[in-house]
Amino acid sequence: MKKIISLMLSLCLIVLGSVAFAENPTYHVGVLQLVQHVALDAATQGFCDALNEKLGDQVVIDVKNASGDSANCTTIANDFVASQVDLIMANATPALQATMAATADIPILGTSITDYATALDIDDWQGVTGFNISGTSDLAPLDGQANMLHELFPEAKTVGLLYCSAEPNSKYQVDEISKYLTELGYECRPYAFADSNDVASVTEAACECDVIYIPTDNTAASYTETIANVVDPAKKPVIAGEEGICTGCGVATLTISYYDLGYATGLMAYEVLANGADISTMAIEYAPNFTKKYQKERCEMLGLTIPEDYLAIE
Amino acid sequence: MDIAKLFNAFPGAISQGIIWGIMAIGVYITFRILDVSDLTVDGSMATGGAVAAMLITAGYNAWFALLVAFLVGMLCGLVTGIFHTTMGIPAILAGILTQLALYSINLRIMDGKANTAVNVNKFHVLVTSRNVRVLSFSNPIVFSVLVTAVLILILCFFFRTEYGCALRATGANGAMARAQGINTNIAKVFGLMLANGIVAFAGALLAQYQGFADVQMARGAIVIGLAAVIIGEVVFGKLLHTFSGKLICVSLGAVIYYLVMQIVLWLGLNTNDLKMLTALVVAVFLAVPHWKSKAFSRMAAQKGVLEDA
Repeated sequence: MKKIISLMLSLCLIVLGSVAFAENPTYHVGVLQLVQHVALDAATQGFCDALNEKLGDQVVIDVKNASGDSANCTTIANDFVASQVDLIMANATPALQATMAATADIPILGTSITDYATALDIDDWQGVTGFNISGTSDLAPLDGQANMLHELFPEAKTVGLLYCSAEPNSKYQVDEISKYLTELGYECRPYAFADSNDVASVTEAACECDVIYIPTDNTAASYTETIANVVDPAKKPVIAGEEGICTGCGVATLTISYYDLGYATGLMAYEVLANGADISTMAIEYAPNFTKKYQKERCEMLGLTIPEDYLAIE
Repeated sequence: MDIAKLFNAFPGAISQGIIWGIMAIGVYITFRILDVSDLTVDGSMATGGAVAAMLITAGYNAWFALLVAFLVGMLCGLVTGIFHTTMGIPAILAGILTQLALYSINLRIMDGKANTAVNVNKFHVLVTSRNVRVLSFSNPIVFSVLVTAVLILILCFFFRTEYGCALRATGANGAMARAQGINTNIAKVFGLMLANGIVAFAGALLAQYQGFADVQMARGAIVIGLAAVIIGEVVFGKLLHTFSGKLICVSLGAVIYYLVMQIVLWLGLNTNDLKMLTALVVAVFLAVPHWKSKAFSRMAAQKGVLEDA
């Protein structure tokens, strides 16, 4: 059995060698996305647009989606490593972890990752990983969001933090913003739902607070209608971590654009591919700019007056 | 579409398949030997992964993590067993209930976080997808084949003992087993514990292999487990009749499952269609035995008509 395995492996190596010689000078980039999702789709789109603009015909991008199964991430990562792609873009945390486990050589760029130190389990975080991974972080300006909440609702006493317990990034944001909100004198209460089935009832419970905050949570983003159906009749304002959630069920947000984030990741990929930048020393990049936005109809319904520097969501 | 790339992807698919094959052996014990459809596995596999990830990142030995994962998996099986036997809940529901509860428990195990990274640069792990093309003992294929072999040997030994036979009798004919003085309730509970222990063990290996544990990592695991059992039976059932042979079939079934997945990916089909394709592949394998038996009975009937004439 061992003989057969080693025979097969060596065969693979020989084949692999011959492939390396036959390859033409275009760049082959693999994109591994965790799940079909508005924000992640936008990031992938931005990434592809940036690379296509910079490299045109010189780049072939292969987008593969794990459809929410983390086991598929490993299979797809294996496919990319086996095809000897020049770079892998991993969209969302499990995608990045599976890719990291699959290769120590191929450059990997992450996006839609909130905190790289947590996602990759790195102590003593210095802003670079020191190995074949870099990328962009979707960390929203949590201090800014806390200040926004304070600016709009100075009278409120309690803030309900609504998020999905299956999402590590949400938990991280909730923990972080609690610190800022507590400093501003609010009482924070976490309300975590496990999946789509208990979104409504957990939201119902969160309505006992004066204001609700929702971080950049993928599950919440998918069920904004459900949340709106609870908070709108209860007349509870929601401050959201991103624009999609704000449009669906919130009043205001300090937002990042996942498209811009993906685009920034694409530019990093260009640096690695065309200019030979060393990925292990590339610093993690953050969203380039933030915008204060509000949802006009809901603010009117709640009778809120929004300061002038806020943009209405189209 | 370069066939070389496909061959190059095979080692990864094979090692992933063998690890899922261990999980499928657990499913085989409940599904085929005990004749119980146990859905606990979707939770207990993630539990195994979570336990292993937490222990390894806390600095414990990876072997120790595997052992603890196995024991915690047995506890999960115990809960399903108690739901099923002493509380009289139908097995399929009992499994679903435990699976549901395990979501919260897995979060607790991972300290409230949904995802724990097992950084292969930092910790010593037994298997990692990184070494899948390396020609040495660190190759996960070597390790997982050895583990599977040892597991099959132990199971063969166990199911030949008196209690092992009692378990098999419980699944084969409960009433007869009871008539022989076997406490079928205890036998079922023990079978569920053994199966979920193996499943959690596989989860612990998978977490190391893929570099993380996630509360959602085993969503739909039962489908892969059942697919492996059935594919193994359809493809190799004719060749291997012994008990150990059947377990080997299950393991090979999981490998075939992942090879098919890898081929589907290599064909460059839209990955949004992946789940539909998976369902179709499993449906075809499920249908083959049915078609075969129909074809045989038709042939037999025709033959009978001829003989009568």
